[in-house]
Amino acid sequence: MPASLVTITFLVLPLLLLFRYSLSSFVPGQFMVDALTLANYGQAFVDPYYRNVLAKTIVMAALVTVLCILLGLPIAQFLARTQSRFKSLLLLCIIVPLFVGNAVRAAGWMVAFGQQGLVNQLGLATGVLNAPVDIMYTPVAVLIGLVSVNLPFVVLTIQSVLEGIDRSAEEAALSLGAKSFETWRLVTLPQAMPGVLAAAVLSFILAMNAYATPMLLGGPGFRMMAPVLADEILVKNNWPLGATLALLLIAVTTILTLIINRVLVRVRRRLGS
Amino acid sequence: MTTKQVSKLSRRHFTALAGAAGALSLIGMRTAHAAGPVVVGTWGGDYQAALQKYIATPLVDPKNYKVVFDGAAESPRKVKLMAERRLPRGSMDVAALTASGSYDMYQNGAIDKLDYSRIPAAAKIPANLKTDYLVPQYYTTRVILFNPSKVTTAPTSYADLWKPEYAGRVGVIDIQYLTTIESAAMAFGGSLSNYEPGKAKLLELKKQGVRIYPTNEAMAQALQTGECWICIMWHARGVLWQNAGVPIEIAVPKEGSVVYLTGFSIPKNARNKDGAYEFLNAQLDHSAQAGFAKDLGGSPVVDGVPLPPELAKRVVYTPAQQARFMVQDNEYLAKNDAQLKDWWDKVFKG
Repeated sequence: MPASLVTITFLVLPLLLLFRYSLSSFVPGQFMVDALTLANYGQAFVDPYYRNVLAKTIVMAALVTVLCILLGLPIAQFLARTQSRFKSLLLLCIIVPLFVGNAVRAAGWMVAFGQQGLVNQLGLATGVLNAPVDIMYTPVAVLIGLVSVNLPFVVLTIQSVLEGIDRSAEEAALSLGAKSFETWRLVTLPQAMPGVLAAAVLSFILAMNAYATPMLLGGPGFRMMAPVLADEILVKNNWPLGATLALLLIAVTTILTLIINRVLVRVRRRLGS
Repeated sequence: MTTKQVSKLSRRHFTALAGAAGALSLIGMRTAHAAGPVVVGTWGGDYQAALQKYIATPLVDPKNYKVVFDGAAESPRKVKLMAERRLPRGSMDVAALTASGSYDMYQNGAIDKLDYSRIPAAAKIPANLKTDYLVPQYYTTRVILFNPSKVTTAPTSYADLWKPEYAGRVGVIDIQYLTTIESAAMAFGGSLSNYEPGKAKLLELKKQGVRIYPTNEAMAQALQTGECWICIMWHARGVLWQNAGVPIEIAVPKEGSVVYLTGFSIPKNARNKDGAYEFLNAQLDHSAQAGFAKDLGGSPVVDGVPLPPELAKRVVYTPAQQARFMVQDNEYLAKNDAQLKDWWDKVFKG
């Protein structure tokens, strides 16, 4: 009962308030005016600008999730199976970035990605680049920034599941003549799929709702949904449209998360069979 | 008082003394009520540091107040004022606002009409700088900044940013969308009450490869590295960037000098209005005004502030310069800000 009360107070009621705001209208100079209109939903769906931002957000979140899984799986596998006495230290290396806020990490990337930044200087020094390239305020900068934010979550989630898998099944497969990759693909991966699924969902949700990283690294050139809806409320003072975009983002994230869940459950079944 | 005397204290005397003690404690309560925390909603960073250094610590805190800062950009502050305007008690006692921001907030009933009899220091502010709802703190004007080693002929007009030889080296700032559209309008047939002609010209600038930076700080860095050669900016910022070694010179556009003014208002539901008025008075003190001119490059709003001659030459406007001052049309901005931002996001940056 207390848990339900907390959920209603801190989640359901604010969402209801947001929904009410989304039905109001915006009059420049007067901010939010009481009304019952679906005009904001119409604008959010019809205006190509918002559709485009939403599409870019979905594609970016999907790319970040795929990259995080591809990079995170081998790291998690190594961490779970290593017998090294430095295992705790290696785990700490994954955890430490989580102690640093997203905005601070993005600030670090800003220093590295500038025209006179570390990446360009290295590129020029090694002859890879002939002239400095623009990395800041591009989708590439946002992609790298978001992968760096989400990767520790993905690694730790998959690693914790891999740790729980009984190694005797892998050993049995190897003793029956399976190659290492075959053993991993047919024995380890199907058992690790719940972890991969959880990590993918976590990464996707984090990327869909990311604010600080796309704001700082995407700048004016690459906008995702969270900075755009924050702009509606904080800069244009258009609370009704901001509330509508917030609800739209929540709805799309939920639907896509359910779809990812279903797809990965099917993949897991296929791998299992 | 001896023990013997106490033992002789009559009931009448005791009652009188108790009454006096009670009255004295009430005076104490009044004093305690007048003091306490003063929450100032303001821009953060250097601005907040200067408020602390020149106003809070030396002038307000010693009077039994405690200035607490709530740092944020102006837009979130306006949102907070609007969100709280129907509450009996708000979270801010003083709100730092621009001239147009304060107009918006006053029109929407979020800030008080000021009682200037409680701000005696405001008597020395020129009448054209103060309003019923905003006590100014400092002001500056909009100018063109350029790198003299790249832009060898000093610009004289905003239109110079469109010169083909600067293509790809002109910078604009995302958060300065209003002033950028306004400057383009002023140069190409518009006015402070009609920004529309600026839009088409900005699209031409976009075709020429304009660089869009997210913040003023990013622009300073771009000017420093030579990535950007010319931009529109506030005079005060130009002075600060010159002090910081950014290779720029300042040019005044022939279209006129649009004034950028910031100041302080009191939210209608401020908890500590006594403290708020104390702060409003203190910020007009000569020492505070001189400190802001030195650290932030702004021109004092109070007459007769003593400044070092070299600093005065750089930040104080002559009567001839003041004659060319232009003031934004707040009513136009209140009605058009959202559509101009929409255009900026969807068309110019799109």
